[in-house]
Amino acid sequence: MAPGRGRKRKLEDDEEGEAATAAAAASSSSDPAESLEQSLTFSDTLVALQIMRAQFPRIDKVSIKPFILRSQLYSSVMDRTQVDRELESLRRAKTLRIFKLSTGQDDHAVMFLDDYINQIDSVVKKKEEKKLPNLEAFDWFKMHVIDTRLEPNISHEELCSLLSLGGKVKDQHVSLLINGGVLIRQLIDPDMYWFAIPSIGSVLKGLSQGRKELLGLLSRKKYKEMMMATLEKKRLRLSPLDMRFHLRDLIGSGHLKTISTPTGLVVRVSKD
Amino acid sequence: MWKEIESRESGKIRPHRFANRLKSRRVASLQLSNTKDIVSPHRGSVNSLQIDLTEGRYLLSGASDASTAVFDVLQPQDYEGGGLIAKHKSILVVDKQHEQGHKYAVSTAIWYPIDTGLFITGSYDHFIKVWDTNSTQVVMNFKMPGKVYTTAMSPLATSHMLIAAGTEDVQVRLCDIASGAFAHTLSGHRDGVMTAQWSASSEWVLVTGGCDGAIRFWDIRRAGCFRVLDQSHSQLGRRPPILCHATTKASTSKSSLGGQSTSAKTGTTLGKFPNGNGTKKSSLGRILGKTSSKQRLHPGMMSSRDRATAHYGAVTGLKVTEDGMYLLSAGSDSRLRLWDVESGWNTLVNFETVRLQTNKAIQLAVSQESDLVFVPCMTAVKAFDFWSGKTSMTFRGHFENVNCCWFSSHDQELYTGGNDRQILVWSPFVSHEMEEGTAQDRDSWSD
Repeated sequence: MAPGRGRKRKLEDDEEGEAATAAAAASSSSDPAESLEQSLTFSDTLVALQIMRAQFPRIDKVSIKPFILRSQLYSSVMDRTQVDRELESLRRAKTLRIFKLSTGQDDHAVMFLDDYINQIDSVVKKKEEKKLPNLEAFDWFKMHVIDTRLEPNISHEELCSLLSLGGKVKDQHVSLLINGGVLIRQLIDPDMYWFAIPSIGSVLKGLSQGRKELLGLLSRKKYKEMMMATLEKKRLRLSPLDMRFHLRDLIGSGHLKTISTPTGLVVRVSKD
Repeated sequence: MWKEIESRESGKIRPHRFANRLKSRRVASLQLSNTKDIVSPHRGSVNSLQIDLTEGRYLLSGASDASTAVFDVLQPQDYEGGGLIAKHKSILVVDKQHEQGHKYAVSTAIWYPIDTGLFITGSYDHFIKVWDTNSTQVVMNFKMPGKVYTTAMSPLATSHMLIAAGTEDVQVRLCDIASGAFAHTLSGHRDGVMTAQWSASSEWVLVTGGCDGAIRFWDIRRAGCFRVLDQSHSQLGRRPPILCHATTKASTSKSSLGGQSTSAKTGTTLGKFPNGNGTKKSSLGRILGKTSSKQRLHPGMMSSRDRATAHYGAVTGLKVTEDGMYLLSAGSDSRLRLWDVESGWNTLVNFETVRLQTNKAIQLAVSQESDLVFVPCMTAVKAFDFWSGKTSMTFRGHFENVNCCWFSSHDQELYTGGNDRQILVWSPFVSHEMEEGTAQDRDSWSD
């Protein structure tokens, strides 16, 4: 009897643990009063990813699933090498996908695989409403290409050979995938494509404008710094993403640095 | 310090470890030297620095005003400040006034690795000149098809005297000092070659980094390169796991079926690729299957089809560690990557670099005993820990961008040169309290 009860209690504990993290995630996303200062660093990359996914701001005009920037992870977990290695093992385990963004030198976006599939499905649905032909290309893409090719880029031959596992491939299929936004041609190499998140264009524009606005805001101050508590409450005009998103991103990429003072964290523009 | 000498004496710590501890402690206290100063005769930014490999005594520097200078770093010419500051002036300067001198900027200056009787300079005027140090005359002149970005000579070479030259042309040329002619050219890069380093473990292996972002390993006895580093091929740790059931192999089992038939045609060189590059093997086979009808390619030249990149921009700096096991590369995407030479994979160590200069090549320095890598980051030189990537020390002293640095492991000193025309010395901190005490002690007297 006793071992049975012990196991049952352990199961309950596990459930409680899961419920606690889910509750924490839900509360942090819905509770604006919880400051960024308290939740700046996490112990583990996967925990950081899940909580930042829950904290992703709701954008009204565009329906987009949550994605996390790589620089945000660098500001959230202490050891950057550990972040890189854990991302690599999660990518190989097909839990998430990494995309190279066109906004900066080394910008990468991380998205969970289920979110990505849902995003593609919503694009397909919109195209079905317009009654476009050749939509089976997206199904072939989901079934064969995403499963096999884990890197952020793919060559033309490999793309065609993987798509042809689903059916006969024509040029119109590839053009439809590019139109849908899941593939982008590389500028340097005409034969290679980048994988991309569909309908993300306006968000990326907001991202780069928001970064510039935030850096400009701090650079105009006399000592180029500001308390994090007051900075968090401001709203950016040009970006649909919230201040917390931009702060994590810029701290992680090294443009801003945080200094701990007796009254709290201070955010300062770092000079190189 | 005395405690350590005592434990060394009694055998508690081994001699190598004792030496390493002392060296690491000295390196950890590196700061701008208050006893040593190098008087730089250059009127342009300092592009290249090297201390000779045999004695560790002579510093060779090349600058943008077409001048090259040699300094003696152990013996100063002059003393200042009451004998406290040693001034090292140049013992040899070659500039535009010299009738055989370079006309444009000198981008690279290296010593002949066997002795200091010769040094080699490469410049933007398309020439590589070999100089005799004692008579300051040009012994040999090589004309290149474009601006010379880098030259390198192998420190291990016993059977060849080749200078590897990287220029804005896509081919890497090997110049032979013994015959005065070009030995051969290595093709494979798709843009200019900015950096070149010889391997520290084999006299036949050369590593080059190009403006196309690729890093290629060449064995000069064969045609074509035998490895191209790909940043997406990575291993989680210093060495790859012993049984690597990489998912890349499993996932390409479907796509490699098409490649099997064509790979049989292309010969045995494909089989020499290590396991982790399984994806490359099959995709290469498929690409060649398509074009083999149009163009028969030599098996050694197949690597020219491989377009893997090591960086998202140009490769601006390369450094092989002294034991020849790891390779560090810096790119214009402002990232520093550590590669395992034997497996050819990215070890995913993240160095906290924010910005690196992108238009010129930078020279990296490695201190193997204290596991540090010195990287010029804009106006400062940062020392990163090798395995964790964390910033260990920052050296701020230059007024403008730093281009080159050299670490002398003999006496744990760092030499840096930058666009502000200065060569700065960073040495371990030594306090001078002893001398002042004895001079001022006038109160202890008795009648």
